[in-house]
Amino acid sequence: MKSSHPAALQAFARKLEYLLALRAVVQTATVWFFVWGVFVLAMRIARVQHTEWLATGLLGFAPIAMLVVLRGRRRLPGFAKVRANYDRLNACGGVIMAEEAADMSAWQAQLPEAAVPKFHWHSARPLLLLGLSALFAATAQLLPERLTQLRSNHSLEIGQLVGQLQVEVKTLAQEKIVDEKKADELQRQLSQIQKDSSGYDPNKTWEALDHVKQANADAAKQAAEEAVAKTESLAQAETLAKAMQEAAEAGMTEATAAQAAQDLAAMLNAAKLEEGILNGKIPPELLAGLNGLNKEQMDKLMKALEFNKNSLGLTVSNLASLKMIDAATLAKCQNAGQCHNPGALADYLSTCTNGCNAVALAEGMRLGRGGPGGGGPPAPMLWDNDTSEKDQKFQEHALPPPAHLSDAQLVGVSKAAPELSANDIAAGHGALDNAAASGGSAHAQVILPEHRQTVQTFFKRDGK
Amino acid sequence: MPDPILKPEELQPAAELARKTLEQLDRILLGRQEVHRLVLIGILSRGHILLEGLPGLGKTALVKTIGQILKLDFKRIQFTPDLMPGDVLGTHILQETSSGKRELLFQPGPVFTNILLADEINRASPKTQSAMLETMQENCVTLLGTTRPLPQPFFVLASQNPIELEGTYPLPEAQLDRFLFRVMFDSVDAGVLDEIISGRRRGELPAPTWQMERGELETLFQTMGRIYLPRPVSRYIARLVSATHPGGTEATGPVNKYVSYGASPRAAIAIAEGARANALVAGRPSVGFEDVKVVAQPVLNHRLILNYQARFDRMTTSKLVTELLGQLDETGLNLPKDVELATA
Repeated sequence: MKSSHPAALQAFARKLEYLLALRAVVQTATVWFFVWGVFVLAMRIARVQHTEWLATGLLGFAPIAMLVVLRGRRRLPGFAKVRANYDRLNACGGVIMAEEAADMSAWQAQLPEAAVPKFHWHSARPLLLLGLSALFAATAQLLPERLTQLRSNHSLEIGQLVGQLQVEVKTLAQEKIVDEKKADELQRQLSQIQKDSSGYDPNKTWEALDHVKQANADAAKQAAEEAVAKTESLAQAETLAKAMQEAAEAGMTEATAAQAAQDLAAMLNAAKLEEGILNGKIPPELLAGLNGLNKEQMDKLMKALEFNKNSLGLTVSNLASLKMIDAATLAKCQNAGQCHNPGALADYLSTCTNGCNAVALAEGMRLGRGGPGGGGPPAPMLWDNDTSEKDQKFQEHALPPPAHLSDAQLVGVSKAAPELSANDIAAGHGALDNAAASGGSAHAQVILPEHRQTVQTFFKRDGK
Repeated sequence: MPDPILKPEELQPAAELARKTLEQLDRILLGRQEVHRLVLIGILSRGHILLEGLPGLGKTALVKTIGQILKLDFKRIQFTPDLMPGDVLGTHILQETSSGKRELLFQPGPVFTNILLADEINRASPKTQSAMLETMQENCVTLLGTTRPLPQPFFVLASQNPIELEGTYPLPEAQLDRFLFRVMFDSVDAGVLDEIISGRRRGELPAPTWQMERGELETLFQTMGRIYLPRPVSRYIARLVSATHPGGTEATGPVNKYVSYGASPRAAIAIAEGARANALVAGRPSVGFEDVKVVAQPVLNHRLILNYQARFDRMTTSKLVTELLGQLDETGLNLPKDVELATA
């Protein structure tokens, strides 16, 4: 293969060109990936929306690499230098170089065997840098958004809570607990809170949300209380209406009927059903003609009352389903208007001839039906006055103070020694011997003969 | 128009002559193949050679043998401290002619020869040493206004003892620069010594079995002139010599640190000629980078003037040239540092 030196030289030149081009491409790609990664990262940190298209920028290194390769080709070492290197590496002794001046084919036979010199590119470091650069670019592209917003204002994860509050506001508006304007204002406030929420200052957000939540809860609680009151009133009115219907059949006097109708109208007017959270209302013609309502109109009135009561119940149920009212309030609402006894009230109306107070009965009488054995006649169950505790409870009395010795009166003085009985002697021991158990009186101490001298000496006073 | 590049059949006789000369030298003087090759290259380059080494290493014997093989006129001057320039160049003496007149006649000195052995040249005074300057560069002698050419070819093969020895005068730079090569003589190994002792009675040299004719020497010189020096190689030589100058674009760190003065243009010419001669001896019609590397060391090692820092650090010119040859890219391809070229 000695004749293949020219071919080997051409192959050597091509190989050198390719290697330098590959090296330039690797360097260009490394720089491009890094620069593009920085650019993508900057764009994402700058909160530029829809950065997916930036991935296509990675392909931009291709035309740049082509430019670099073209520029590198212009800077390639001249063919004379390549040939000189080939000559040196193949130990041709200048014969290959001499081809620049003359035909050296005559010397080809004496040259060493042609071989393309090898290149050794220490590519580990450039390829490692390329890999790191590409990894950086990919990371910059795929980095989760929360990590790209390290220095920005992190929003709190309050979407669920805000959504719940928005539903509450919407429900309150639908139930007319708050007016539309107020509801819109609350909705705007919630949106603003969510937008302005910051992980670096969560207290402000939580306080605002708590405020809205408390406002909703207060409105719901107020509505629930109103619903209880109205339900109670409706139940009373319904009881009275039903009693009036039954009493009319049982022969209620016209005066009583007129009075009851008047009372019913007053009761409904006092309940202010058309105000607040009640959606429905009593037809005005029924309210106007309560005194002369026939049975059908009475049924219609009662249906209207029942409808309104059900509407209130539905409202309270909606509030309860959103947990805007607690269980106690819900139970209170559900129990409102129960235990009314229209039958007893009807009996009362049918028997009452003058001065009937149906309203008081309807309001205060939740007439009992007596005990298990039937008991007495229905009696009003009143809770306004406390039950008398007379003769039902132990009465405490203060004891007189004990008598004092200073208050004792001298009855007489005995000079003789008291006579002791046998019992007295047996019990006579110690200083309190002969002391009475009661009355606080005390007897003189008995002085024993062996002590008498001593005592006398003690009481003996000089000069007296 | 330059001569055409040699064809194989044209180069082959000259290469054969060189081979025979080396063969004779290697046969007569044992264990000095590299020195023989360099001396022959120096002669083919028509340069003067400075042989440096301790006494008794065969410097004089080498020069004598060269003279015998080449069948050239050979003379020897033993340089001593009292040697005068007239003792070297010749002098005018007053003589009575046949006509009875008295006139100054020129009595040529030993320099009028083909091969001059200047033995222990550094033992003469600088004055006498400088008497050699014209002869070595101009190949002529000028005395009393008369210039007399020296016989051609003219070679000075000087030997000198290391300058550390007593009674030596260092050669001036101008004269050192006129020597093509400075060839160092080292001690031969024990095997060669044993062969010398056992094969050579009293160390007498055997006579050459082949001698070169005068015409053959001319043929060699003519062939030398047709050895092609490619441009990349000549550029390499120029860059190499330029790199010996501190502060040069391609000067290495050690050069900048230790060199006071770099090699002269005469060094570049010497390298080119020496590389040509090496290519001829190798039987090649053109000079390669390897030829330059062969002759660079003996050409440059006496031409670099080192500073005091080099003495302190025991830096030698040989080390500097070796380092320079290793660092300098021959072709100036300037490949990136992470790309290396290797033989297949």
